[in-house]
Amino acid sequence: MSDFRALFASPVFNMSEHFFPNINLQDKLNWAEEFIQNVVIPRLPEAVASHFPVEIGTVLVMFACAGVFVGVVPLLPLVLVLAERKVSARFQNRTGPMRVGPWGVLQTLADGVKLIFKEDFIPPQGDKLLFLLAPYIIFACSFAVFAAIPFSEGILVSDFNIGIFYIMAISSVIVMGVIMAGWSSNSKWSLLGSLRSAAQIVSYEIPLGLSILTIVMLVESLSMQEIVANQSNGVFSWLIFRTPFTFIAFFIFFISSIAEVNRTPFDLPEAESEIVAGFHTEYSGMRFALFFIAEYANMFAVSAIAVTLFLGGWEGVLPGYDILGGFPGFVIKSMALVFLMMWLRWTLPRLRVDQLMNLCWKYFIPIAFFNILGTGIWGLIFPEDTLISTAISCAIIYIGLITAYKVAGRTLAQKPAPQPS
Amino acid sequence: MDKYIRNIYRGVYTVLVGMRVTIRQFFKPNVTHQYPYEHDFERKRNVREIPKGYRGQLYNRIEDCIGCKKCEMICPVDCIMITGTKLPKGEQLWDSMNVVHLKDGREIIGIIEGDDKKIKSADSITVTNITSRQGPQEVIDRLGPSGVERRNQTFSGDEVSRVVTRNPVVFYLDQFDIDMSLCMYCGLCTEVCPTECLTMKDSLAGVEYSKFDRSDLIFKFDKQEMYDKGNTEEVDAAD
Repeated sequence: MSDFRALFASPVFNMSEHFFPNINLQDKLNWAEEFIQNVVIPRLPEAVASHFPVEIGTVLVMFACAGVFVGVVPLLPLVLVLAERKVSARFQNRTGPMRVGPWGVLQTLADGVKLIFKEDFIPPQGDKLLFLLAPYIIFACSFAVFAAIPFSEGILVSDFNIGIFYIMAISSVIVMGVIMAGWSSNSKWSLLGSLRSAAQIVSYEIPLGLSILTIVMLVESLSMQEIVANQSNGVFSWLIFRTPFTFIAFFIFFISSIAEVNRTPFDLPEAESEIVAGFHTEYSGMRFALFFIAEYANMFAVSAIAVTLFLGGWEGVLPGYDILGGFPGFVIKSMALVFLMMWLRWTLPRLRVDQLMNLCWKYFIPIAFFNILGTGIWGLIFPEDTLISTAISCAIIYIGLITAYKVAGRTLAQKPAPQPS
Repeated sequence: MDKYIRNIYRGVYTVLVGMRVTIRQFFKPNVTHQYPYEHDFERKRNVREIPKGYRGQLYNRIEDCIGCKKCEMICPVDCIMITGTKLPKGEQLWDSMNVVHLKDGREIIGIIEGDDKKIKSADSITVTNITSRQGPQEVIDRLGPSGVERRNQTFSGDEVSRVVTRNPVVFYLDQFDIDMSLCMYCGLCTEVCPTECLTMKDSLAGVEYSKFDRSDLIFKFDKQEMYDKGNTEEVDAAD
């Protein structure tokens, strides 16, 4: 293979330098090149193998992997929509969809086919360009988030060194799409829904970001893979148990992310009893399906991020053993959080707008700031993550929960003063 | 500050209480009935008892049907279709059975010993050859352990409220179809039936008999196998 390789390596034909100046093929795409060197080339005939363009092949392998990823991830909402319907049915002692396929497993597929063939209505008085653009922005942003989520040690699109920052940034663009959809529909419901959504998402991004900051302070890195690697010593090295403050931060993060993805009890932007369907009232057919898919993809994405940041990502429960670890473990953990979201949805009624803002600005943001302060002090006391620091942290969490349980019992025995409505 | 922290407590506590309530429901069995595929209503707790005298699906005891066509005539929606061949005058196939209505609501089908026309003056009635109605499960249960079992029973005169006399069967019934998709459940046909062989089921089976195809709602009651075949041909030839 020497001649051809030498030609490639020469300054004139150096593909990696000339066509992909910012990507260092030698470092980042090593696994793809290894795949070609070890798997593809030995199977090729001698004559072809010696002239096989490894660099081009590497890029092709990367493209193939990305294609698989892009093809598989949209199947997630398909599963999640069915899961949501089945779980909600279970909470109401129903069976959910039962007719399409065995136990109704093909119901979402049938719904998707129906939506594709429905009329694509565009309001004549609306802003046509924005109306057409909005679902794509939301859809693209929801799926771009998946690029940085490490499903497993090997299964991820790219390990950015700014992974979590990228996720925060790209998921903030969703609110743009929401406002575009609401404005361009020329409908009062849509506009009200989108403005509510904007207010809500912008507000809840603050406690969300502050909770992530506590993690970043501990790990001293924004890379998702490094955050996971930091939690590789079993369940007590997971960042949720590392300090008492991250324990609180997890709950703030999770509740804020429910608000971020517009789910009950924070579903004011699409409150069906008040404003029909909120920002996507005027959408129909495939465009509506895009909103729907994006919503469920988002739901999984925030769960996956919560798992990565707080619950050990793809690392297992015990160090050295693969219990709840790897790709299946990651999916199980994420699905557990998704189930928690569904559980909350069928438990809690919708908040009022002022209650929503109260919760965010008066409770979450002060507590999140307190968390950052606490994590900083914790980092000064325990610069290195040791067994002692973890033990102290777990002890504080345990004592805190017990005290809270006892005190809450006493506090709740008193009747609350009637609040002015 | 005290109020602030108490507020957090209260929020968390009430959410947890609510979540406990919903997760309990999550593990309870469902109440959904997969209706057209699942017909056994008894499995579900919330099915009420069908009252006696309920006008359900029409049912004909074809053995006792004398082919008088009164039901076909009185039916306001023409849902009964009867075709048959009448026997020559003076001939008859067999007699229909007696139906003894008791005062406690039971109906006994059998043959009364002696002259059933003079039954009102009798002190006691002995019914032989008791069979149950085929079909309604409730009636079978009411009458005894087995519907096929033939037995005799004696009732005192006070117990009996009404007796249906025996009639000669003078028809070969080729067709006795009832289209239940047309039936309006007025019950007129059961009232005019002289042998009370045409009844409405007052059981679950008479209430729930939904079908996927409308043509399945045409119920055919004729039984050709109960006629002596040689006899039939003879009559046809004579006709």
